[in-house]
Amino acid sequence: MAATVDERLAQTFVELADTLVGGFDLMEFLHMLTERCVELLDLEAAGLLLADSRGTLQLVAASTEQARVVELFQIQSDEGPCLDAYRTGQPVIVPDLTASQATARWPMFTGAAREMGFAAVHAIPMRLRDQIIGTLNLFGSAPQGLDPAVARAAQALVDVATIGILQERATREHELVAGQLQVALNSRVIIEQAKGILAERMRVTPDQAFIVLRAYSRNHNHPLTQLAADVISGTTDLVAVSRAKPQPTARRKQADR
Amino acid sequence: MCRPGGWLGKDSGVVSDRAVKVWAWIAAEHDGGAPVSMAAVCSAAARRLGVDGVSVMAVSDGLAREPLSASDEVSARLEELQFTTGEGPSADDFRLGAPVLVPDLESAAARWPGFVPEAVAAGARAMFAVPLQAGAIRVGVLTLYRALPGPLSAGDLADALVFADFALQLLLDASSGISGQAGYGLLNGLSDSQAAVYQATGMISVQLGVSLEEALVRLRAHAFADSAGIGQVASDVVARRLRFDPDAGADA
Repeated sequence: MAATVDERLAQTFVELADTLVGGFDLMEFLHMLTERCVELLDLEAAGLLLADSRGTLQLVAASTEQARVVELFQIQSDEGPCLDAYRTGQPVIVPDLTASQATARWPMFTGAAREMGFAAVHAIPMRLRDQIIGTLNLFGSAPQGLDPAVARAAQALVDVATIGILQERATREHELVAGQLQVALNSRVIIEQAKGILAERMRVTPDQAFIVLRAYSRNHNHPLTQLAADVISGTTDLVAVSRAKPQPTARRKQADR
Repeated sequence: MCRPGGWLGKDSGVVSDRAVKVWAWIAAEHDGGAPVSMAAVCSAAARRLGVDGVSVMAVSDGLAREPLSASDEVSARLEELQFTTGEGPSADDFRLGAPVLVPDLESAAARWPGFVPEAVAAGARAMFAVPLQAGAIRVGVLTLYRALPGPLSAGDLADALVFADFALQLLLDASSGISGQAGYGLLNGLSDSQAAVYQATGMISVQLGVSLEEALVRLRAHAFADSAGIGQVASDVVARRLRFDPDAGADA
């Protein structure tokens, strides 16, 4: 690959910045972010956890089903590097999940992560001044450390994610931050509800329903959360649309790599 | 932190320490043995959140508003004023789906010209409104007021969000009647917000041809009747091991 991490990172920033103006949708933005992390940093998968104002971590985006399973398992079993990164505010680097240090510290998590095909995990806290609002978690399929250039890039992406969450208006007050996080997490619930409705109507799994939802959102420039709300209210009928011919992509094509 | 928490909490994952604490506050507020009431939620919130009064308003379709409970006369008066003027933090809160926090009510006089002078005259100088919502389901607003201006602390705000979760659950469960039954508790159930619960809600709404709100009411009632965790019932629905049948009298 000719481009350096820094060059590819710059390209990604341009692309992400594009989504920050007009028609911004936080859920789409965060999903895109996890996918770009994987491509840019040569990883297997990425996931993003946000803390709600009640102090519970919630899975907001994951680039693969395997990452989703591991993240949810981690929240449920209350053990894992991402939780530690959240609690300490420090990055947690686990180059080898089979190392005795890792298995002793997170016996349940390391087992679940290996079962899903992961060999290394890096968890990076999302920091907003003195407050930790979540973590970005990177998964590798082979044992690997975190190269300093990659670590810098990952940190930059985490900072972009934080800006994305707060971009709707400049915030200084913790109250506004709490409100925005609540809106973000509620958007996720709206999307889950729409996935259920579509899954039942189309006789598919919720994951397949999400793929349909997201493809429509991209092809029609219809922000994801708004689209989910429209599916719920019945304003947009994706079941009928999915039976019709696929639409040409309205958005600019993403750079091939 | 995983811990057992009554019928809804059995297998539904994380119950935060905050939820456990808030639940204990509400439980301490009502008579032993009596069903948990919205009045207990309001009086516990008023006592614990550093405010002077708390009220809950039910809102359906964004229009019909019904006062459910108020911890004191000023709170009841503020709800009435918001209703008659069509202004105020609760109305905005319902529209936005985000908390509306007004640490200094007088500074909002331009925003709500009809409401603010009356509210200040009634004794409120700060107001905070939190939506009762789960995704597209929005059923009401929890409103706090204080006689002196000043912001809510971060901890009080976090607790207020948990109170709103419990108020939402109570409202849903009152409509199915399970909240009056023996063995009913509020600990957890919604605040863990598992994806499966919300996906199942969407699926059930299609199966029964009802709103998301009604679907969630039925899902919770089913879990309660079966003494099952709501997460388990939801997973069964998502995996298509369980269907809600519109023709059956009882659920599924």
